[in-house]
Amino acid sequence: MITGFLLNGFDTRARIVVAILVAIALLVPAANLYLPADHPLHVPTYAVTLMGKYFAYALLALAVDLVWGYCGILSLGHGAFFALGGYAMGMYLMRQIGTRGVYADPILPDFMVFLNWKELPWFWYGFDMFWFAALMVLLVPGALAFVFGWFAFRSRVTGVYLSIITQALTYALLLAFFRNDMGFGGNNGLTDFKDILGYNVQADTTRATLFALTVLFLALAFFIASAIARSKLGKVLVGVRDAESRTRFLGYRVENYKLFVWTLSAMMAGVAGALYVPQVGIINPSEFAPANSIEAVIWVAVGGRGTLIGPIVGAVAVNFGKTWFTGVLPELWLFALGALFIVVTLFLPKGIVGTVQAFWANRRRPATPAALAAEPAE
Amino acid sequence: MTDKAAGTLLYLDGVNKAFDGFKAINNLSLVLEPGEMRAIIGPNGAGKTTMMDIITGKTKPDTGDVLFEGSTDLTRLDEAKIANLGIGRKFQKPTVFESHTVEDNIVLALKAKRGAFATLFHQTTKAEAARVDELLATTRLTDKRAMLAARLSHGQKQWLEIGMLLAQEPRLLLVDEPAAGMTDAETAETALLLKEIAKTQSVVVVEHDMTFVRDLGVKVTVLHEGSVLAEGSLDVVSSNPKVVEVYLGR
Amino acid sequence: MRYFSVLITALWLMLSAVAAPAATVIADADLTRLVNQLGVGGFDEADAAIGSLAATGDGRVSAILDALGEGDLFVRKTDKAVVKAEAAGREFKLTDPVTGADLGTAPKAAVEKIRVNNRLRRTIAAAVGTLTLRSDDPAVRRSAAEAVMKSKDAAAIPALDAAIAAETDERIKVVMVAARAAAVLESDLPEADKLAAIETIGDLGGRDALAMLASYTGANGAVGEAARKASTSIESSLLLWDAAQNITYGLSLGSVLLLAAIGLAITFGVMGVINMAHGEMVMIGAYVTFVVQEVIRTSAPDLFDYSLLIALPLAFLVSGGVGVLIERSVIRWLYGRPLETLLATWGVSLMLQQAVRTIFGAQNREVGNPSWMSGSFTVGELAVTWSRLWIIVFALVVFAGLMLVLKRTPFGLQTRAVTQNRQMASAMGIRTPWVDAFTFGLGSGIAGIAGVALSQIDNVSPNLGQGYIIDSFMVVVFGGVGNLWGTLVGAMTLGIANKLLEPYAGAVLGKILLLVFIILFIQKRPRGLFALKGRAIEA
Repeated sequence: MITGFLLNGFDTRARIVVAILVAIALLVPAANLYLPADHPLHVPTYAVTLMGKYFAYALLALAVDLVWGYCGILSLGHGAFFALGGYAMGMYLMRQIGTRGVYADPILPDFMVFLNWKELPWFWYGFDMFWFAALMVLLVPGALAFVFGWFAFRSRVTGVYLSIITQALTYALLLAFFRNDMGFGGNNGLTDFKDILGYNVQADTTRATLFALTVLFLALAFFIASAIARSKLGKVLVGVRDAESRTRFLGYRVENYKLFVWTLSAMMAGVAGALYVPQVGIINPSEFAPANSIEAVIWVAVGGRGTLIGPIVGAVAVNFGKTWFTGVLPELWLFALGALFIVVTLFLPKGIVGTVQAFWANRRRPATPAALAAEPAE
Repeated sequence: MTDKAAGTLLYLDGVNKAFDGFKAINNLSLVLEPGEMRAIIGPNGAGKTTMMDIITGKTKPDTGDVLFEGSTDLTRLDEAKIANLGIGRKFQKPTVFESHTVEDNIVLALKAKRGAFATLFHQTTKAEAARVDELLATTRLTDKRAMLAARLSHGQKQWLEIGMLLAQEPRLLLVDEPAAGMTDAETAETALLLKEIAKTQSVVVVEHDMTFVRDLGVKVTVLHEGSVLAEGSLDVVSSNPKVVEVYLGR
Repeated sequence: MRYFSVLITALWLMLSAVAAPAATVIADADLTRLVNQLGVGGFDEADAAIGSLAATGDGRVSAILDALGEGDLFVRKTDKAVVKAEAAGREFKLTDPVTGADLGTAPKAAVEKIRVNNRLRRTIAAAVGTLTLRSDDPAVRRSAAEAVMKSKDAAAIPALDAAIAAETDERIKVVMVAARAAAVLESDLPEADKLAAIETIGDLGGRDALAMLASYTGANGAVGEAARKASTSIESSLLLWDAAQNITYGLSLGSVLLLAAIGLAITFGVMGVINMAHGEMVMIGAYVTFVVQEVIRTSAPDLFDYSLLIALPLAFLVSGGVGVLIERSVIRWLYGRPLETLLATWGVSLMLQQAVRTIFGAQNREVGNPSWMSGSFTVGELAVTWSRLWIIVFALVVFAGLMLVLKRTPFGLQTRAVTQNRQMASAMGIRTPWVDAFTFGLGSGIAGIAGVALSQIDNVSPNLGQGYIIDSFMVVVFGGVGNLWGTLVGAMTLGIANKLLEPYAGAVLGKILLLVFIILFIQKRPRGLFALKGRAIEA
């Protein structure tokens, strides 16, 4: 049964994408570690880390696309799940610092000593163990998404209402995490990490490994998402997106389907956050900012929602553009990003990948399923 | 009360529903026997669509009994539960999954486990494939099976929706204006199809088109201002002076 | 320490008021003669002289007596005249205590200090107290009474009794009675008098009364008992005042929310358009105010008090114009696709923020308060600032105006028609595209004038709008989409709830609690407090 499900997802296109991602995961670190610095194909460490960040974003985008592109739920709060996953990883990294902190307290992170706390809050227990932190990376965003979704979908909050309350959710978390007495480092967040599983986070080899892991996780998520999209459940989700009441009258419990994909997507976002934090070396409350969540949505829109390759292409392309702009014309970046929102919604509703797919499909034979599967959802 | 409902397929008694003071359904009572096909007619605002909403769980009545198979209280159940009990519904405006193929539309409607994990790991069986072929043939969509539903004509979408209804293997079909927007030839064919269906299932058809209702040749219930005005064969009700008054104006 | 500085301030106020030519009763020569009596004989004679000086009721006497108390009065040996002397190097600089005229300098040996003992000091204090308590200037009387209230000097009781009997101004009388009660409690008068005093203070109520009682609540016996009882009753009434104060804060926050949300209620509620750039319309309005004030500052400073009145129509036009532009260029292509509208207008908002940042810089801009917006007044225990009050009034006026436009004008009728049935309205000859554009312009324009108001209480920066957008959506959604009354009730409810929560939960936690509440509320009642009901909406 499960093998059938997995085989479903492993169609030609998925195979190609997974193969490309695995190749990137192997070749880029190799080019960083084994080629001499003056070799034309050498990839400097900063670039590896930068790309690692892009691919973590791509995983977040894939998570957004799963709910938005396939189920029509526009989440303006996925940044919250991303940040929660990041905080779970950040807490592990904080506890690895040990006595190397400024105050050299073996148990308490620096900011707690600074706040005159005497003992570790209960919710920091266990984060000194990697397996526990890794579990929390999945469970915390998953549990929040489950509770939130359980309420929201059951009372049939849909469309823009749902979007707005997801935004309020991340905004509330933003305010909460800014507070010092929440116990997550307040304004400054968690930073100054030393090592992960015993390896120095600053070392080239660690960074290359983190990059490879990020891309491999992305490949795995892509594969799972692809299997889901091709399963009967995936078809029900698209049904919910296009004609929710029809799905209901066919006897499907729409809220359960939404809850399933919503929770799964939140967990994916959490993993993305957990991969992101050790690479950028910091997690702070600004990751909860509503603007971040909306930016993730635009990556998906640019790449093409309702396609699985789209969000990856979109996240990498937009963030590459962001890096380039903020380096060359920093004051123009927000104009460019703003224009991107407008141009994509007005002129490129299917995104890059969706448009290309539709173009090729039209050339071969009019209207194949793939072309129209990328139709915008309402 | 329950005794009276015994042996009936659908039993509505004293049902009331008001929207902001407007009584959409007013003390409506209606009984449908197993295997029966019934046409429901009535002017705009007579409460036909609201009645369907109440039976399928979309709207909860203010008062009254709605029982399925004599004992199941439909007012306590939601849409999905009611659909799984075996009540299928076709909307006035054809509603199909436009970005799925015709075949996938039918597959999604096939009677099967509806749980999220059951569908996640679901593999199409041989029996299901055969059933899909059969239904495509019944609805005359076999050659369109790989086409996206969005590309079907209006009439074909109506048929596809009926096909999806049949795939659910319901015991009761509620069909809202199946002939709306169809050509005469399509209308006649639709009537044939429904009569075919009625051999095995109970059907309630809401319709405006009198020719179509005549083609069906079944018992007719006339709704007016949320309650039953007259019941009987089409000839009987159309000679009823009250019905004439309602339809022709006073 | 603080108590001391308050005393000094009060005295200074008293003295500076006394120095004003308020009550010259007798001629300089007569006064001089009486003053000279101070230097004749011993303490008893001086005591009598003080009495006769005080009896004149002359406004200058208290300054002279103060100088005496401070040891600044001397007798000039040559003519036995009383002079005021101030050390200037080795010599004294002499002035006439009555007229203040310069009398030149004299060697230290030429004058002799008029000595005062504690008995004289008391006499002086009482005389000064009586004099100022009986001054012709109500402000002086009031501050004299307040000074006694702080000093709790039992010696002032007889003077207060006399002053209370003579006082005609009820408000000052109340202060005097309170001062007397405070002095009685510190005196060695019998217990019955003290109990009466506590009752007086208890009846007075308020935070000051509570502070006055605070030092006696720990006392033993009947006085302590009475003080505790009076304190409790004051505290419970203060609790009500506190709640009332928080409600006024809440109303003013609610008005701010209303102003920010009402434009959104039109574009989102009436037109169904999600405008994420709504906050930027508010921001533009605030910047229009800034520009207007800059122009006034440089070219017509006299008009500064009118700057807001000038800014209002301009802000409406500029924000409204930008709104129409956005509607015509972006939003009209996206009707019926709310999620896309949301994304596109978010893009617009980013661009507007960056445009303002480029033009005006990223830092906060200074927008001044006109004189009629500054200051505050008190009602009972309530402190109300004028800016708060004006914003409440302004928000309600804007709300009423908008209601009128929508319910009573042809434009409003057309808007409602288009909202209800676009095709039908179009068929009736209404130019729906123009109605859309103007309705959107109206909503944006109102956001602009909200910006004028917000410029008075918030930092004017490119991020101004971002702070309001989520709150505004919460208000509209909470109140019920498509219902302006719902927006009013929603804004006020959230404003008041926020301020009532703040003292217990803190500002940030209070806000979080409210957000969580709204998230839960929307799930319970997805269509808000005042939902439109009916079949059409459920479809």
